[in-house]
Amino acid sequence: MNKEKVRQIVLDIIAEIAPDEDLSDVKPNVRLRDQLDLDSMDFLDIVMELRKQHGIDVPEAEYRELESLDSSANYLLPKFESGAAA
Amino acid sequence: MPAIPTSQASDHHDVTVIGAGLSGLAAALRLAMFGKKVILLEKHYVVGGLNSFYAKKGIKFDVGLHALTNYPSQQSGKSSPLLKLCRQLRISLDSLNLLPQSHSRITFGTESLLFDNNFDFFISQVEDKFPKERDRFQSLLAKMETFPAYSVDAEDLSTRNILKESIGDPLLSEMLLCPTCYYGSARKNDIDFPTFVMLFDAIFRQGLARPELGIRAILDPLIGKLEELGVQRRMNCGVERIRTKGDKVSEIVLESGETLTSDQVISTCGAVETEALLAPSESSTPSTTEGKFSIMESIFVFQGNPKDFGWEETVVFFNDSEIFRYGEPEGLIDLRSGVICMPENYGNQLHNSDNKSKLRITHPANYDRWSELEQPTYESEKNLWEERILENGMRYLKNGKEVIDSFRAKTTFRDTFTPRTIKKYTGHANGTLYGSPQKRRDGTTAFENLFLAGTDQGYVGIVGAMLGGIAVANNQILRSI
Repeated sequence: MNKEKVRQIVLDIIAEIAPDEDLSDVKPNVRLRDQLDLDSMDFLDIVMELRKQHGIDVPEAEYRELESLDSSANYLLPKFESGAAA
Repeated sequence: MPAIPTSQASDHHDVTVIGAGLSGLAAALRLAMFGKKVILLEKHYVVGGLNSFYAKKGIKFDVGLHALTNYPSQQSGKSSPLLKLCRQLRISLDSLNLLPQSHSRITFGTESLLFDNNFDFFISQVEDKFPKERDRFQSLLAKMETFPAYSVDAEDLSTRNILKESIGDPLLSEMLLCPTCYYGSARKNDIDFPTFVMLFDAIFRQGLARPELGIRAILDPLIGKLEELGVQRRMNCGVERIRTKGDKVSEIVLESGETLTSDQVISTCGAVETEALLAPSESSTPSTTEGKFSIMESIFVFQGNPKDFGWEETVVFFNDSEIFRYGEPEGLIDLRSGVICMPENYGNQLHNSDNKSKLRITHPANYDRWSELEQPTYESEKNLWEERILENGMRYLKNGKEVIDSFRAKTTFRDTFTPRTIKKYTGHANGTLYGSPQKRRDGTTAFENLFLAGTDQGYVGIVGAMLGGIAVANNQILRSI
């Protein structure tokens, strides 16, 4: 697992929950909300899909760690790695 | 894999959802999507609640679908909650095949305002008919845009009072109240301001449409998804009692005598109705105010199209004078005001393959008065009023008085439902459409694992009901996993 893969996982989830969004040019260092039409309900879905598909828990207080693809990768990578190691 | 606690037998569920109306279906789907083991209980033998369907003499009818509001129109529909809803339930908007309205009309005496799915057109109508109100109307729009109508703690202000302060000509205020009240007010002669703002956006800023296949275009995919996800759905399955222990629901007793357990319960049958299930003893007085608004509707099925008679509108909201009275009438029905819908006027082309159309006319009606009638009188009153509704309704349609006889001749079937019918099929106390005037937006109750969803949250209409169910599933259950 690496950050690039984590970014792709998050993008794939967004493609699933918001099929009407154009994801061809999402900038990894810019807040997702600022470039896509995503609201708090959509972020809840990202969190729920991470749990469902990858068994990763994101506590509500830490939802903001997912604000951009880069911040998501930084925050989620250790979780993916510890999951894989277990 | 975590061990299953012994108390959680295989018939134990994570969540019980009471009611397979739109809010219950949406809540159950959200929960099941994320792995919750859900059981959905419905008293009736079809899903949909107030927005269901039936067939008589081979003709299919939708129960409540005059209009699907919140049409995501080009101009001001981008923020439509309908788009959020489709995303949350993973339904594509395209799959609904929405047919937009032609245009609709609000008529008060001799004055009319038209609107379509282009908000600027409605603004121009208001400015043409009420030139002196131009600036005040614009300030009202600005006020509505900044009001946090969608927030769970939005203040339940009186729309009448706000309109009195904001608009100079009372006729314009009345004309704005009429469609919004009919599409979702549980209050008498008024509507709470958050609901007014939501409905104003839903009707005017966004717009009206109808799925080509009617309500089933929404219900069928929901049911299909619930089945795929293994949600247990029990029909003809009324709840007798919700038993509690301390501040928690302990079990649900079905009318069959069977008991069910679950960690959490979402009840969509209404606030007053849920209270009755919690405390069925005669001694307790309900703490929620009962709603009273109910309707009578006559549906006339006729050969041909509305346009054959020169009727171009999709919906007509009418009132016989300059003063709009909304609420339960003294008598059986109030003919002074009502709503006409011509579903065949959705979409640019004709969609009635069998060359039949419907004219639906709705009026406020009194549940108590209808329910005290003996069966033969009930039937004869229904027939009598059906004819009066038609005659009265024709006053608000182009050349109505002249064409009424040819319309009658082309009418092949009539069906009428009363507040009593609504009570029978939905279980709503007093046959109400919009529940109690007291709303609990976040869905919480005095019991920590019992939540209310649906109309008594204050989100009304098809889109509102589903969003309400989604909000309760998200905020009260999924977020706290």
